[in-house]
Amino acid sequence: MADIWNTIILEPVLNSLIALTNVLGGSFGLAIIVLTVVVRLALFPLTVRQTQSTKAMQTLQPKIQEIQKKYAKDQQKLQQEMMKLYKEAGINPLGCLWPMLIQLPIWIALYQSIMQALAATPESLLSLSQHLYSWAAVGHAIPLSDKFLWLNLSRPDPNLILAILVGGTMWVQQKMVTPPAADPRQRSMTNLTTTMMPLMFGLFTLSFPSGLALYWVVSNIIGIVIQYFVSGGWGYLRTPTAPKPPTVEKVIPAQKAPVVQPSKTLQKAAEESKTLKKASDEKKRGLFGR
Amino acid sequence: MANFLKRIKQRLSLIAALIVLSLLVVSCAGPTFQGWSGFAASDGVLYFGGIDGKVYAISPTARSQNLNFPSQGEWVFNIPSFGAPGSICGPACAPASAQVSTYATPVVVGNLVCVGIYAGDKGKLIAIDRLAPGYTEGVPLRSKGEWTYPSGTKSIGAIVGTPVVAEGTIYIGTSDGKLYAIDPVYGEKKWEFDTGGKIWTSPAVEGGVVYISNYNRKLFAASRTDGTQIWQTELPSSISSSPVVSGNNIYVGTFDNHLYAIDKTNGKEVWNFEGGNWFWPTPIVKDGAVYAGCLDNKLYAIDAGSGKELWQFIADGPIVSEPVLTDSSVVIASKAGDIYVLDSGKGDLVKSIHIGFPVMAPLFLEGNMLYVHAGSLCVYGIDVVSGEKAWEFCYSSIE
Repeated sequence: MADIWNTIILEPVLNSLIALTNVLGGSFGLAIIVLTVVVRLALFPLTVRQTQSTKAMQTLQPKIQEIQKKYAKDQQKLQQEMMKLYKEAGINPLGCLWPMLIQLPIWIALYQSIMQALAATPESLLSLSQHLYSWAAVGHAIPLSDKFLWLNLSRPDPNLILAILVGGTMWVQQKMVTPPAADPRQRSMTNLTTTMMPLMFGLFTLSFPSGLALYWVVSNIIGIVIQYFVSGGWGYLRTPTAPKPPTVEKVIPAQKAPVVQPSKTLQKAAEESKTLKKASDEKKRGLFGR
Repeated sequence: MANFLKRIKQRLSLIAALIVLSLLVVSCAGPTFQGWSGFAASDGVLYFGGIDGKVYAISPTARSQNLNFPSQGEWVFNIPSFGAPGSICGPACAPASAQVSTYATPVVVGNLVCVGIYAGDKGKLIAIDRLAPGYTEGVPLRSKGEWTYPSGTKSIGAIVGTPVVAEGTIYIGTSDGKLYAIDPVYGEKKWEFDTGGKIWTSPAVEGGVVYISNYNRKLFAASRTDGTQIWQTELPSSISSSPVVSGNNIYVGTFDNHLYAIDKTNGKEVWNFEGGNWFWPTPIVKDGAVYAGCLDNKLYAIDAGSGKELWQFIADGPIVSEPVLTDSSVVIASKAGDIYVLDSGKGDLVKSIHIGFPVMAPLFLEGNMLYVHAGSLCVYGIDVVSGEKAWEFCYSSIE
């Protein structure tokens, strides 16, 4: 299994990375940046499809919640209604999963290739010899120079610069795609995830080869750019607060805004009015701040 | 359907998180280093650096009698930590404490055994009293002649290539790109020569010249007296093996799968020979033939004058360790854990001995006894005539 993985996935990526280093005058840092950009561009259609599917699914959330509430006791009917909803909206519910599954092995291969190509120790250099093609461009580039800007790519960045860049870009990217949850418990969980992951990767950067951290930064920046242009803006990065759960369900049942009931108390009316404004703003902006 | 989708998403996220975590763990384990020191011998004692960060002195006689370790003349020495960073992983997965190892084979100079240390980015050359180490809490005992270069907590680049001793001077290349000439009595630097590229190979000394290669494709000839450059040459690829000088030529293997013969007087290429992978171990030359082990599992015998192949032998794994020669045979080891005794004239297999563990350290031959340091943390004494394993010493079992 490992051999198949190495032959089909790892070795083509690894050798391309090394050959690219040779083409780029021996700069492995530049090769990491270029290959990350190339791979992300190659996967661009998939990324767009994933983003659009996710966006479409999020748009349907209020309706989904409504159906779930309505048919909570009848699972069969619930399934039927959900399928009907997806069909009407023209959405394949698994549409956002396939692109993710296809991209995963490529990311893993890129990650492994960077680690392999750096060959920080004599053992890893020896191990590298078993994965190389007999291309002249590969042979001429080995062993790779680990110097790039202020970094030694096979060692962690002693400054905090790369750690801040990794954590910062990851936080921005996560914030752009994570909708503010209505449920307070869910909201605190979401906040924890969007804070913890960048923090964790920032800490990893202090311990891992900076070549890998460079890949994380570039990958995150490209992700942000794609997200910005595909979704048309900064998305949820500019939506700091979440709408209140019960009112949201009432206020955005479909595409048109509901009419406020005159029989409600002043306090409730004010609350609804506030929510309506939010919903209206959200509608104007679009889910991603268009 | 929504629940189903949610479940799939949760599981996918969990799988993705697990993959990322496993990669982090694997990548942490990957760059750690072990070392593959060969042997130096003096007065019936073998000195070598263990994979466990210690230096050992063992007596083949005591080992063949299976005496308790340490017996007379034997010792084990813990290489002192000198504040160098350990593996590239820090708090995330591995201790940040200094991990030390030895790739360089020790050399014996008078009453001292000198060991080149590898500690990630940093290194040090340490001299230990070979009768009984006198170090106290990592500080050498000057009254026994012990020293470290550089002294105290200072360090140089990590040492991978074996030092060479010639006429009262130790020559050593380091990963900071410098070739040092060290006085073995006081442990002081005589001179240094900056090659401008990482050095993971050994120098070669002949006459008044020291030859050294670096990972910037360059081979240098420098004066042994003061380190001034005599010539330098750039090859199409970086040099993978340590240079060896014989006759008028220097022989080196490169990362583009070639073995080069270079004129030692001017650095010009004489011939080149293409293999199937890197020529990693230092080639050996005898009677007009160059024996070059290669990571394509082959040992090539090449005519030293013309560069034409005389014969080749296919082993069952890459040849990482340096071969040795007897009167009529060449002995090689494969990374797969087999030792082969070959007829040096025709390349026919005379004997093979199965070790079963990877062999990457240089082989060492003394009379008929071949000493092998294997990845099992064991040393094997093998009679190359009978092909029998005479004894084995596993230092991992020492308490």
